[in-house]
Amino acid sequence: MSMHTLLRYEWGVMTPEFIIIGTALILSLVDLLMPDDKDRRPLAWIAFVGVAIAFVATIGLIPAETTSILHDTFRLDAFGKAFKLLLLAGGALSLLLAFDYRPKEGLKHRGEFSYLMLCALLGAMIVTSSGDLITLFVGLELLSISSYILVGLRKTSVQANEAALKYVINGGISTAMTLFGMSYIFGLTGTTNIKEIAVEAQKLTDGEYQYILALAFLLLFVGLAFKISTVPFHMWTPDVYQGAPTPVTAFLSVVSKTAGFAIVLRLLITIFAAAPARGKDTSSMLLSMQDYIAFLAGATMIVGNIVALKQRSMKRLLAYSSIAHAGYVLVGFAAMSWVMIDSIWFYLLAYLLMNFGAFAILQRMSDEADSDDISRFAGLYQRSPLLAVAMGVFLLSLAGIPGTAGFIAKWNIFLGALMTEPGHYVLAAVMIATTVISYVYYFGIFVQIFFRPAAETSSLRLPIGLTLIVVVCALGTLLFGVVPGLAYHFLGQFEHFGDFLQ
Amino acid sequence: MMEMAWIVPLFPLFSFFLLLLAGKKMKEASAYVGMLATFVSFLVASAVLADRVGGSTYKAEQVWLAIGSAKLTVGFEVTALNAWMLVIVSLVSFLVHMYAKGYMQGDERFSVFYAYLGLFTFAMLGLVISPNLLQTYMFWELVGLGSFLLIGFYFYKEEAKAAAKKAFIMTRVGDVGFFIGMILLFLQVGSFEYSDIFKAVQDGTLSQPMVTLTAILIFVGAVGKSGQFPLHTWLPDAMEGPTPVSALIHAATMVAAGVYLVAALFPLYEASETALLTVAVVGGFTAIFAASIALVQTDIKRVLAYSTVSQLGYMMLALGSGSDVAAIFHLTTHAFFKALLFLAAGSVIHAVGTQDIEKMGGLWRKMPLTAALFLVGALAISGVPLLSGFFSKDEIFAAAWMHGHGVLFWIAVVASFFTAFYMFRLFFLVFGGEERHGAKDVHESPAVMTLPMLVLAVLSVAAGYIHTPWFGTFLGDWLTDGGYAHEKTPSWMMIVAAIVSLLGIFLAWLMYGKRSLARDWLSSRAPLTYNVLLNKYYIDEFYAWTVGYVANAISRLFYYVDRFVIEGIASLITATVNAAASLGSRMQNGQVQTYGAVTFIGLALLVAILAFTGGYL
Repeated sequence: MSMHTLLRYEWGVMTPEFIIIGTALILSLVDLLMPDDKDRRPLAWIAFVGVAIAFVATIGLIPAETTSILHDTFRLDAFGKAFKLLLLAGGALSLLLAFDYRPKEGLKHRGEFSYLMLCALLGAMIVTSSGDLITLFVGLELLSISSYILVGLRKTSVQANEAALKYVINGGISTAMTLFGMSYIFGLTGTTNIKEIAVEAQKLTDGEYQYILALAFLLLFVGLAFKISTVPFHMWTPDVYQGAPTPVTAFLSVVSKTAGFAIVLRLLITIFAAAPARGKDTSSMLLSMQDYIAFLAGATMIVGNIVALKQRSMKRLLAYSSIAHAGYVLVGFAAMSWVMIDSIWFYLLAYLLMNFGAFAILQRMSDEADSDDISRFAGLYQRSPLLAVAMGVFLLSLAGIPGTAGFIAKWNIFLGALMTEPGHYVLAAVMIATTVISYVYYFGIFVQIFFRPAAETSSLRLPIGLTLIVVVCALGTLLFGVVPGLAYHFLGQFEHFGDFLQ
Repeated sequence: MMEMAWIVPLFPLFSFFLLLLAGKKMKEASAYVGMLATFVSFLVASAVLADRVGGSTYKAEQVWLAIGSAKLTVGFEVTALNAWMLVIVSLVSFLVHMYAKGYMQGDERFSVFYAYLGLFTFAMLGLVISPNLLQTYMFWELVGLGSFLLIGFYFYKEEAKAAAKKAFIMTRVGDVGFFIGMILLFLQVGSFEYSDIFKAVQDGTLSQPMVTLTAILIFVGAVGKSGQFPLHTWLPDAMEGPTPVSALIHAATMVAAGVYLVAALFPLYEASETALLTVAVVGGFTAIFAASIALVQTDIKRVLAYSTVSQLGYMMLALGSGSDVAAIFHLTTHAFFKALLFLAAGSVIHAVGTQDIEKMGGLWRKMPLTAALFLVGALAISGVPLLSGFFSKDEIFAAAWMHGHGVLFWIAVVASFFTAFYMFRLFFLVFGGEERHGAKDVHESPAVMTLPMLVLAVLSVAAGYIHTPWFGTFLGDWLTDGGYAHEKTPSWMMIVAAIVSLLGIFLAWLMYGKRSLARDWLSSRAPLTYNVLLNKYYIDEFYAWTVGYVANAISRLFYYVDRFVIEGIASLITATVNAAASLGSRMQNGQVQTYGAVTFIGLALLVAILAFTGGYL
């Protein structure tokens, strides 16, 4: 590659990534040169501003045409733009959480907090835009490795160390599986470029090859199930969520998961939608694997919701709840209706709002006593009615009660599952049944907040960062619950992600 | 005025927000905020009703969300039924708001109570003006939330907490049916609008089996909300809530929402004989089932609760017999007399401090006004001629008879006999006889509590005259836009109904009233023969061994069915879920090896399934 071609690329489409990378570099230098005794909390604000600028830059890129640079390894299409917006919003909220994170024993490595989070965010963004298995894998690993360190950032906490170690080991297994699947694909098609793979895969009409391709599908799907924490790769979730610092937990449950869904959608749809399959349905490999996804989606919803019933720790409870929500999103994928990506995007948006809101309040409630037991919420209504109402909104939305974004999101997924021909009635029924089960644990928290006497009577003050999150998330949850048309109007300009396969 | 109907629910909503935020400082004044809000709602609702009487249906809506070609709309509609319901709900709500000022006096969370009442009233009013199923469903859930909060109002009592949970979850079970039915309708019709659904039913877009299926599924939702068998068990437990709540939510308004829903979707039901029959049978069965249980309860509110279940069964029977007019008529009269009975019961509980009727008695002298008002309610619900319950129940009997439900008709008649009996058993035990309570200064409730009861008592008497075969069927004509044809009913029917109710009262008097009367009678005429005394004893035994024993056996049987079969199934499901949860958390043992193993086993299973089923081997 000559210098000339290198300069001719439209680097402009990578502006958001450059901004994040720049901010991360500056922050690491500042952290290095800053005297040890200086407070590093303001660094989180700088990071926040960086992410905010990147967000604006991404919005500025929305009118840009679908562009592919660097030999088709990086592509900016509607899908990438839409998901990057979610990732950046999630990253910004995580940084706000980190700013107000005050563990009891103090936090020595606060500087790392900010720029590692930016690195993880960068990995996630690359993943949504990659057009090649290599860049995709590099982005994925950047996200993963940064997350491993973030989980273990509280170096003196035994729980955090345990969580980090478990995360690394499970992550290793996941990476191995994903790579194994990719190697099959490379072996069958002889290329790492996703679009070329799709072209080559169409020519695979031999049954033996198709079997290997189907194997690759399963390997990829199970490997990536780690990132979205769905069955059978969900077991690590509660342990890691519990041990990690709350801002990191929120980051993992929203940003990392959103990135995971972005890879699953981009990789599996592009490669397998066109590949032929044997058996009764010869039209497409993806459709022939539909039942597997549906089965795993059902299992995920059941496991997540049922085991959540037994949890006393709020973080573990939210971990199982996040498994359950991943299951609902998978229903959207399994149904493969024509509104699939729209409804998944909206779900992830609603999930971002309600989950960050809940985590912000949880962080405030658990930091003061270094305990995240559900009883910490007892009598919250007496201590701070406004905070209790906000938490109520998030819980109602997580439970999917009408009037909240969570309801609309679930509703869309549900309709999508019934809209296809033939409809996925069993899956829809499992979704409803498990949703009913989820009421039990969400309303358990409700009972604590509104109906239990408070253990302490001191009133609660919310620091500025958390206040911002709670206000934005609560308003967003209600706004998109009452006028979801706003989000759909916004999505309308992506025209159902029609450029996805071009 | 009709275009302003959307404003009716907003006053209570405003009251809710205001009291939630500033209630603590306002204290007693909260009651006035709530009363004012509901009173204004009532005035506007009345104006809307007056406007609708001369005019035609008004509907306004806007697109809320468009998914593909399907458009979801929000708006409101003023039909005859809606306008009528608006007035009833806002009126009863206002009266209960007023009553609660006396009843809840001194409660620490006085303002919270009024805030919740406001939320509920808003949801209920919103429910009745919804022009489409989706909007109805949303408010339907919201009234459920209001009910949950108010049942659990005394959250420091274990029973109240359990009851609130039970109510929420039991009604949700029904809601799942409603939800599925609604979605199926949407998928078939492409719209949630009532009018579109009716059009599809008429022109045959909706196939006959589909009509039946969706109608029955939606009816399942109504069964949950209206406490019909087998989803009724939450309603008696819901009596743990404060008594004004029982009157408003669990007697007059929310529990009638199921009846309202079926009535609002009536053209759908009319198109399917099977669906109608299901509604009729469930209603008829519930009517006698609950009435028989009410015969043996000793908690004043529980008797009234089972009575409510039974009366709702009547309304369902009317709907199932093809007469939505009779159902709405009974809904109206029931709202008045049952609210009255609950408020009177509340007044008694307030004074005596217990709900056990064995510990009451002789209150007639201490609380004459309450007693008299309770008597009016009891007479009305028993179907004594010239009171409202007589006319509305008569309409239901007629509907069942004319629709050819001979068996159901007789079941309804027997249930009516039970009704009269248990109501007067209650009356004689609470107000008649000697005092059995320990409370010292029992006195009449303050005017703020008796005044709403007085209004309801007047309505319990008068409300019957809006629809009678003698003076004119105003309600029926109006609800059906003049197309109401009152079928000529056999004249013996009215006589049978009157005799049955009087017989029930007479029997109650013999068993619970006469015992005290007889003593007076004996002491004044001591020289009466032994024979008479023996005879009297004989009658008592006779009743005990015939009517009493059979009724007792039936009610005991139903009670055990209720206790072991219905609740057994419910606990089986809970136990299964719990066991699965325990198993799941035990798998989560913290060992990374286990986690890895689960993943590998999962993958291996998937690969094995692929190999065997994919046709690749």
